[in-house]
Amino acid sequence: MVEAVKRALNKISVEHIKLELLGTAYNSSSTFLGRLDPRMLLIWYLFFAITPWFIYNRTILLGMFVFMVVTTILSKVSPYIVFILCLGLVSQIGWMFLLSLFFGGGAESLLPMLTLTLKLSVISLASITVFSSLDPERLSDGLSALGVPDAFAFSLSYGYRILPTLLEEFHQILLSFRLRGQRPEKHGFLYLRTAAYYLRILVLVFYPLMLNTAKRSRTTVEALETRGYTYAVNNPKVKKLRLSYLAMQRRDWLFVAFTVVYIGLLFPLGAAVPNLLY
Amino acid sequence: MDKPLLELSNVSFTYPGAEHPVLLEVSFTLQQGDFVAVIGSNGSGKSTLCKCFNGLIPHYYTGDFEGELKLLGESAEGKRVSELSRHIGYVYQDFENQLVRPTVLDDVCFTPLNYGLADYRERGLRALELTGLSGLGREFIWQLSGGQKHLLALAGALAMDPDILVIDEPVAQLDPQHARQIYDILRRLNEQHGKTIVVIEHHAEFIAEYCRSVVLMDGGRLRWQKPVREALTSVEELLALGIYPPDVTRAALLLRPDRQAAGEYPLSCEEGRAWFGRRADAVSAADSDSAANGRTLAAASAAASPGTGSYAAMEAAVSRAAAEPIVRMEQIRLSYRTIHKTLQPVLGGINLELYAGERVALIGNNGAGKSSLMKLIAGITAPTGGTVQVKGITVNGLPPERLSGMVSYVFQNPEDMFIDDSVRGEIAYYLKARKLADMDERVEELLQSFRLLELAERDARLLSGGQQRRVSLAIGAAVRPAVMLLDEPTANLDISTKQEMTRVLEALRGHVETVVIATHDMALVAEWATRIIVMSEGRIIADGDKETVFSDGQLLRRAGLAETQLMEMSRLLNLPQICSSLEEFTAMAEWRKGELIYGGSC
Repeated sequence: MVEAVKRALNKISVEHIKLELLGTAYNSSSTFLGRLDPRMLLIWYLFFAITPWFIYNRTILLGMFVFMVVTTILSKVSPYIVFILCLGLVSQIGWMFLLSLFFGGGAESLLPMLTLTLKLSVISLASITVFSSLDPERLSDGLSALGVPDAFAFSLSYGYRILPTLLEEFHQILLSFRLRGQRPEKHGFLYLRTAAYYLRILVLVFYPLMLNTAKRSRTTVEALETRGYTYAVNNPKVKKLRLSYLAMQRRDWLFVAFTVVYIGLLFPLGAAVPNLLY
Repeated sequence: MDKPLLELSNVSFTYPGAEHPVLLEVSFTLQQGDFVAVIGSNGSGKSTLCKCFNGLIPHYYTGDFEGELKLLGESAEGKRVSELSRHIGYVYQDFENQLVRPTVLDDVCFTPLNYGLADYRERGLRALELTGLSGLGREFIWQLSGGQKHLLALAGALAMDPDILVIDEPVAQLDPQHARQIYDILRRLNEQHGKTIVVIEHHAEFIAEYCRSVVLMDGGRLRWQKPVREALTSVEELLALGIYPPDVTRAALLLRPDRQAAGEYPLSCEEGRAWFGRRADAVSAADSDSAANGRTLAAASAAASPGTGSYAAMEAAVSRAAAEPIVRMEQIRLSYRTIHKTLQPVLGGINLELYAGERVALIGNNGAGKSSLMKLIAGITAPTGGTVQVKGITVNGLPPERLSGMVSYVFQNPEDMFIDDSVRGEIAYYLKARKLADMDERVEELLQSFRLLELAERDARLLSGGQQRRVSLAIGAAVRPAVMLLDEPTANLDISTKQEMTRVLEALRGHVETVVIATHDMALVAEWATRIIVMSEGRIIADGDKETVFSDGQLLRRAGLAETQLMEMSRLLNLPQICSSLEEFTAMAEWRKGELIYGGSC
C-alpha cells in the first residue's frame, strides 16, 4: 500500500504537472471544438451552465448529459481532469448518501441525489469542454469581444504565459528547501511527520516566489509601456483590429444549429417520456 | 551619418529621495547610422541614460528631471513613453520578462498590434526573418532556448521598424556562439537596414569588433564619446574605472606603455598578429623545468599560475590511480518528456569519474547537457538509464535531502537559492536544519571567507549580482560537500566582478573536495580549471587538462565555444604554450610593429 502511494507520488513531479497543465491549456486547437468561434462557445457554455438548474425532467437532463459526454470526448480532455471530476462527483454523492443513512434514509434516497448529480455533471462537463477547447488566447479574445474589460482579458492570457515560468521557479525554490533542509529521520505514524515536513515547505516556498515575482514584474510593466500597451488600452480601434480575426464560419453555424435542434427535440421527448430510465 | 537622430542637452536626473543625481548634465548626440557602445562601471548611469531616450525617464520613473530631449529634431517634451517608443526599440537585460505573449508570433506582433498597425502580421513575420527565427512562429515562449528568447525580444522591438534600437547587455546570458550571432544580426541591421544601435556592453572584444563609437559614463556624467579605437586604447583610464579593454590591447600596454597616447594598439587578434611576435627566447613554462636554458625562464615560470603546467596534471593522474573516485557515472542516459508527449534525449552514454582535489570545468554551448549532467550528480533528476554514484552511494532517485551532505548544487540564478530573509539566515539554514553544534562558528567563518560580514543582515535578494553570487557560493559551501556543482557562476556578471570570481572560488578550498563548474566563460576556465570536460549534444567529446583541450582549436569550435583572445594569439604566434594570463603572454610575446622583424614565426 505504502509502496503504491510512493510510486504514484513519484510520478506526480512538478515537471509532470507543468506539462499536463500546459497541455490542457494550449493543446486544443487541434480538436473540432477548438476551432470554433470563442464567442459562440462562451455563449453556448452559458446556456449549459445555467439551464440545468431549472430543469427537473430527468429525461431532458439525461439527454443533455449524453450530449456533454460527446462534446467532452470531442475535445480530447486529459484523462486526469476527467478522473478528478469523477472523484469529486462520487465523493459528493457518497457523503450525502452517508448523511441520509444517518438520518434514517435508505437506498431510495439515492435516486433524487442522482438527479442533482446529473445536473452537476452536465455543468461540469460543459465547463471542461469549453475551457479545454479554448486556449487562453482565444478565451481572452472571446471575453474581450463580449465586452469584458481589456485589462482583465489581457491578465488572463498573461497569467497563462507566466505560469510555466512560475512553476519552474517554484520547482527551483522547492529544491533549494529540500537540498538544504532535513527530512524527518523517521516517517512517524502514518507518515504524518514526513507529510507535515512536505506541507510545511510547500507553504514556505510561496514567500520567496512572491518576492522574486514582484522583482521580475518591474521589467514587465516597464516593457509593456515601451511596447505600446497603454496606447492600445486607450484606443478602441486597436481592439477592433485585434479581434478582427474572429468570425462565425460554417462549422460554427452548424454547431449552433445542431445544438438548437437537439435541445429542441429533447424538450418534447422529455414531456412525453418523463421517466426514461428511472 | 551626420543627421542627429537624438539629442540630449544638459540632462540631469535624480530619483525621488536620492541624494545624488544618477545623471548629471549629460549632453549626448546620437547620429543616424551610428553603432554606439555605452560603457562604465556599475551604477555609473548607463541604463538610466538609455531610459531617457524613450521617455521612461522622466515619465515612468518620476524624479527631478532637467534638460531637454530631442528626437528626430522635435522636442520630446509632453510626449508620452508610448509615443516615443514608436521610434525606439528597447531590449532589456532580463529580456525574458519583456516577452508577454504565449507564442512567438503573438509576441512579435504584440507591439505593432498595440499601435493599431493593420499590417502587424507582416511586420512580425519580417522581424522574425531578420532575426533568423522564421519557422518558429507557432512555438511557445517557454520552449525556446535562452538565445532564441533574446532574439525574439529583439524581433519584438524590430517589428515596429524603429529608427533606434537600444539593447541592454546583449550577450550577458549567451554562450559565445550565440553572442556572435546576435552581434552579427545587429551589424546587419546597422549596415544594411540603416538602424541606429545603442548597446550597453561590458565585453570590450565585441565593442572592438562591432561598434563604431563609445560613450563612457562615470558617476552619472558622460566623460567622453569617442570613436572606438581611440576609446579602447585609453587602456589605463578604462582600467582605473574597472573596465577591461580587449586582452590584446592590454598586452600591448604591458609591452609598450609608451604607445598609448598615439592610440597605436591592436584591438583584435587579426591586428595583434601583425603587431606582436614570438619572443626568440620564449620557452614554455612546462618545458622550462626540464631544460635549463635561457634568461626568460624565471619570468615565464613565475608567471605561470600554480596548478597549471603538466606537473599538476601528472600529480592529479597519480592521485587518481590511488584514490577512489568521488563521483562515478556509468552509461548514463537521460531524456525529457515534452509538451507533445515525445521524449527528448538530453544525454547519451555518459561515462565519467571525478576525483578529490580536481577543479573540473564542464564546457559546451547552451543545450549541450551541462546542467543536466550536474543535476544527475546532485540527485535532482534521476537518469533514464545507467547509475550515478557519489562516494560509493548510488544516487539515482534518492531524495535530495539524503544527498545534501555530499553534494551541493549552486543554481545559475542565485535568487532561486534565497529562502531566508538575511544572508546569515541563508547560510545557516542547512546547519540549523541539522542542529549542528558548531553552527555559529561555521557561519562566521563562511561570512568571513566570502567577505559577507557587512552584508550579513541584509536580504540577499536586494544585493548586487556579484554579491548575490558570493552568497550563493557560501550557501553551497556551508554544506561542506564532497562535490560542489556550480551552474554558470559568471553569467550576468560584469567583467570586474568576473575577475573577482576566481578569487572567490579560491575561498572554496578547505570547504569542498571537488568543484565542478559548468560554464562557457573560457577566461574562467583558463585561469581556474585543472581538468576540462567538453560536451556537445549530450555527449562528452573531450576530457583532459588545459593543454590538450585548448591546443585543439577545432574542438572548441565544434563545441560552439570561442577561444579567448590570448589563446587565439598564442596559436597565431606559435607560442610554445597556450597562454591563459596576460603575464604568461607578455613573457612569451614581444612588440614587433614598426621594428625589425625577426625571422621564424607566423
